[in-house]
Amino acid sequence: MSETPRIVKEKSMVVQKKMLAAYYKGLASTGETGQKVVYTFVPGNLTELILSFGAQPVYPEINALQSGMRKKSMEFIRQAEKMGHSEDVCTYVKCDVGMMLKGNVGPTGETIPAPDLLLCSYTGCFTFMKWFENLAKMYDCPVVMLHVPYRSAGEASPAMVQYVVDQLRTRVIPALEKVTGRPYDEERLRTMLGLAAQAEDDMVYCFESAKNRPSPIDGYFAGVYYIGPIFTAFRGTEECVTYYRSLREDIDERIARGLGPITPEGQIEKEQYRLVVEGPPNWTNFREFWKLFYDRGAVVVASTYTNVGGSYDLGFRHDPAHPLETMARYCMSCYTNLSLPQRTAVLSNYVRDYHADGLLVNSIKSCNSFSAGQLQMLRRVEEETGVPVGFIESDLVDPRYFSYANLKNRLDSFFQMLDQKLTPGESDA
Amino acid sequence: MNRTDVYTMGVDVGASSVKTVLMSYGSGEHPEILFKDCRRMRRRNPSVVADESMEDALSVAGLELKDIAYVASTGEGEMVKRKRGHFYSMTTHAKGAAFLVPAARAVLDLGALHARAMKINDEARVLSYRMTGQCASGSGQFIENITRYLGVSLSEVGALSLQSDHPERASSICAVLAETDVINMVSRGVSTPDIIRGIHESIAQRLVKLLSALKADSPLVLTGGLSRDAGMVEVIRRKVAEDDLGLTVLTHPDAIYAGALGAALWAGWRHFKLQEKASAAS
Repeated sequence: MSETPRIVKEKSMVVQKKMLAAYYKGLASTGETGQKVVYTFVPGNLTELILSFGAQPVYPEINALQSGMRKKSMEFIRQAEKMGHSEDVCTYVKCDVGMMLKGNVGPTGETIPAPDLLLCSYTGCFTFMKWFENLAKMYDCPVVMLHVPYRSAGEASPAMVQYVVDQLRTRVIPALEKVTGRPYDEERLRTMLGLAAQAEDDMVYCFESAKNRPSPIDGYFAGVYYIGPIFTAFRGTEECVTYYRSLREDIDERIARGLGPITPEGQIEKEQYRLVVEGPPNWTNFREFWKLFYDRGAVVVASTYTNVGGSYDLGFRHDPAHPLETMARYCMSCYTNLSLPQRTAVLSNYVRDYHADGLLVNSIKSCNSFSAGQLQMLRRVEEETGVPVGFIESDLVDPRYFSYANLKNRLDSFFQMLDQKLTPGESDA
Repeated sequence: MNRTDVYTMGVDVGASSVKTVLMSYGSGEHPEILFKDCRRMRRRNPSVVADESMEDALSVAGLELKDIAYVASTGEGEMVKRKRGHFYSMTTHAKGAAFLVPAARAVLDLGALHARAMKINDEARVLSYRMTGQCASGSGQFIENITRYLGVSLSEVGALSLQSDHPERASSICAVLAETDVINMVSRGVSTPDIIRGIHESIAQRLVKLLSALKADSPLVLTGGLSRDAGMVEVIRRKVAEDDLGLTVLTHPDAIYAGALGAALWAGWRHFKLQEKASAAS
């Protein structure tokens, strides 16, 4: 009988798993503790505000991707399709709806409580509105809408900031006060925003460590773990600050020892290619997908997906001195709320700043907010930077769209192209 | 350096067939093809099919494996047991195409599972590339499935396509949609040449998009299995002209062997390089 290979995990991944387990356990016990539950979305999330009211945030996308990684998403998607959802509907939505129809048992096996409030932070994904419209009916629950303006002209203007602040003041905060029965506590919020800024500083340091050669981290496959605490229920807590401080120390040690990233099969010994990746990863076959890269010594040094909740690259940090304004700016900074020229600039800058050898786009079948415009961005980055570009397709949590042979075939060509650029004349495997 | 009697072999394992080329470097500068073979896999183990093909090459040339200076595989050929090295298919197709048409500045590899457009320089180095998306509509396997459905053989496809007067357009987005279109065409009594030509046009539409995105230079050489489908070649020529891409579209009777040929040439390059290193060391 063959032995199951031991999966290597970074210290931070183990810590995070424990944090998530405690989070889901906490959610399951809200019935006893009386804590109120607010469902909201990761892009432009208002975690500190929700936590400042003593409520527990729930992120349906996180439940969906966790279910995807644990091979549970297909049965939920089928359930939603049986109910009438089309194959083309976002698979996060179907996974979430299916999970609810099956008793709302979350990825860890514990029950996710029904929402007391749906806080829809609309940051450019039209599906979000329809998603919460559905949930509002299914749970018979109130919805509060936060309309975040799209940064079509680039920067967030003072009028745009004021527009979001007004909504926070007149709609979101009153809704949270009503649901939780607590008054808005600005001092508490300021404290949490200060903690958020500390964690953000350390997180940015961790991601920028990939500018080293070899990079001590993989900024995409491991990066999705690194963004976990900051884009979910932990930003604004001491726990989050501790997590990123500890991650930073681990990374510093790896840099000092000249070590490469850790993969599920151990450390990458030789950094063969440095890549920038655009688009979310596939969750259903996450490890298989990652293996296609680390087997070739390909390290992702920067990825746009790690800005899914909000972007810190241009210096944004939560500012406790201006709580509502800073939250407004944060909401507008999430990656899918940026204009296409801004997204293109992010990618080109990554290629240059992280000394990347190529750009790869993983286009997600059911995610229009990420996928729209990707081919155009790909061409523009190719023109601007001169690095080889590649294009692959998969999906978030629908395993039916994961085609190993197609991905491998296309990645092979991409790596061949990189070889041609990196070692002209040499072309053998 | 004496290159007389140096033999190399290239084995290209594709999705539906194995191609083998045996080359002799002889006394001239330009190596020549001694043997070429294209063998359908027909659900057999590719490694076994490659072995058979290599045996035939040796037998026809009156050689033994030890006489071959370097055996190189390409494509999915990493499982070829008797190879010495493996070369990536993009570089082998580029090398093979440039050997057949030295002026080539772009290559369109039309394989069973994908199509890939490459821009190359005068040394056959790949400068950039574009590939079809995940959908199989732009692939040779799709044509093969359709011919099975229509009850015609693959070798008839080109001539039938050229007979078409009123091609019926099929979906160019998805192979499954296109297949449904074909079933509908058959039930409507559309002639086989018009159906095949419609399929060629839907595939060519995707290919032209690839070439346009690549900003390919002229001349363009077609390689891979579909390069010997005269109907396909004709439609690509027409579409390239309609879209004003300024490309001369060329093919070659041996273009289907481009991958194996390129592997045999890279094998020679590697062999002589190793020889140089060895003589420098001694």
